Amino acid sequence: MGTKNRGFFGERPLPTSEVDSQLVHRRSRRDLLLFGAGTMAALAGARSLLPHALRTALRIDDEVAESLYSPRRMVATYTKSQITQLKNNYNGTTPDPSYIPGWHVTLDGLAAGVSVALDIRNLMTRFSIHEQITRLVCVEGWSAVAWWAGLRFDDLLRAYPPMSQAKWVRVESSVNLDASGNPDPYYVSIDLAAASHPQTLLATHLNGRPLAVEHGAPLRLLAPVKLGLKNVKAVTGLTYVTQEPADYWAERGYSHYDGI
Amino acid sequence: MLVVRRHHLLVRWSHWLNVPILLGLILSGISIYWASPIYQHKPDPITGNFDVAADIGIWICAHVPGLRHYSSPPDWIYNHMSLGPGMLAAALRLHWLYAYGFMLNGAVYVAGLIAGGGWRGLLPRRTDLHDALRMFGYYIGFPLAKPARRQWPHPISNTKYNALQRAAYVTIPIAGFLSVTTGWAIHKPMQFHSLASIFGGFDATRVWHFWLMWVFLLFVVPHVILVFADGWDTLRGMITGWSTKVMRPKVTA
Repeated sequence: MGTKNRGFFGERPLPTSEVDSQLVHRRSRRDLLLFGAGTMAALAGARSLLPHALRTALRIDDEVAESLYSPRRMVATYTKSQITQLKNNYNGTTPDPSYIPGWHVTLDGLAAGVSVALDIRNLMTRFSIHEQITRLVCVEGWSAVAWWAGLRFDDLLRAYPPMSQAKWVRVESSVNLDASGNPDPYYVSIDLAAASHPQTLLATHLNGRPLAVEHGAPLRLLAPVKLGLKNVKAVTGLTYVTQEPADYWAERGYSHYDGI
Repeated sequence: MLVVRRHHLLVRWSHWLNVPILLGLILSGISIYWASPIYQHKPDPITGNFDVAADIGIWICAHVPGLRHYSSPPDWIYNHMSLGPGMLAAALRLHWLYAYGFMLNGAVYVAGLIAGGGWRGLLPRRTDLHDALRMFGYYIGFPLAKPARRQWPHPISNTKYNALQRAAYVTIPIAGFLSVTTGWAIHKPMQFHSLASIFGGFDATRVWHFWLMWVFLLFVVPHVILVFADGWDTLRGMITGWSTKVMRPKVTA
């Protein structure tokens, strides 16, 4: 062993030892057999444990998303020069705009115990309109920076308080269509914590103009703290519930909360 | 018999666990890539295709004998190097499972490096550039010298790794750390948007994350070739932890 000072970062000589060569061969064989057995066991175990592991990882990841969320942490906002193209990402056929004139949103699960229907004129005159330029991120990996305007979901929650036990809101669009144009109602779960985030809007305008049919006229959810798939277009129903409601994409294998 | 301890138990375990973890991350990652390819061009007027990976699939099927009649050439890459097209939900779930595994495994590896003192062997030296060029010359000349039965001595090195190995072995933990960081930045782009901005924003961070995969792939190929070229002792060392190649202090007569 060298006696010269190597410093804290200096490489040390590797520890050597004199071992009986019989022992070396025995240990070597033992370790290799263990390694092979371990590999086989891992392969066999992976097949049966994978579904459970996948569920657990998804659950953990959803919990991580929830614990990262804070109602006081704002998402990044952008300038008008940073606005990008927002494509029509209706999963099926874009609905015919004929639903728009008779459109209203129905609130259920309110503290008042009755259901309330609001039309767009009602919503836009009674609530103050807020603007924000934020990023909408799709589960697929693309994103778009867009200039939104609308009422704060939180203001609606204050004007029409949900029943006291409610923790969730089911956000629904009954005008959604599947790829062949048949009715395919779209529904997602949103936790009330995310709904009451100051940047969660019920948007009425995109890039300074009233929402076009491909962007969910006349009212869509804009929750930038959630993936785009939670941002329901042409919202027709808001139902406050105590238990996590069904979610269109969670039923198709995606995560539940989609907090980003 | 004189043996030398080379790798700590935790380093060896995490080393081998990286094989299935990285394989799972890459296969599921390519399926995630499929949903929104980074490398796109204007849609082809005939096929409507815009994805460069699909172009490569089309090219492969057109030029590789036996693949002429492949049913879906644009999907060739995805069918052979990922879970397949249209598998986003499953791919995301797998990617997260493996990503959590990768982070845990990385922590185990670092713990092993600290416990065994192996981290010191990975640190760069002042002489590394010169030594790396020497090693590079050795590797380049080796396949030429060997068939000609010329003497082609391995450069002498009195450290655990030569300079090229050190560069490679220190790159991988750094690439792992950056993969995890960019992964979080694109997985939670709202909560971690300041992290994404370090890498140039959300879209640029996806590109980083994609290219970090290539760092692993570009490392693995020569790594495996050189370990086999180096011989059984090196491979066994990563399983048993010790080696019989003992460096003795050079005695000058």
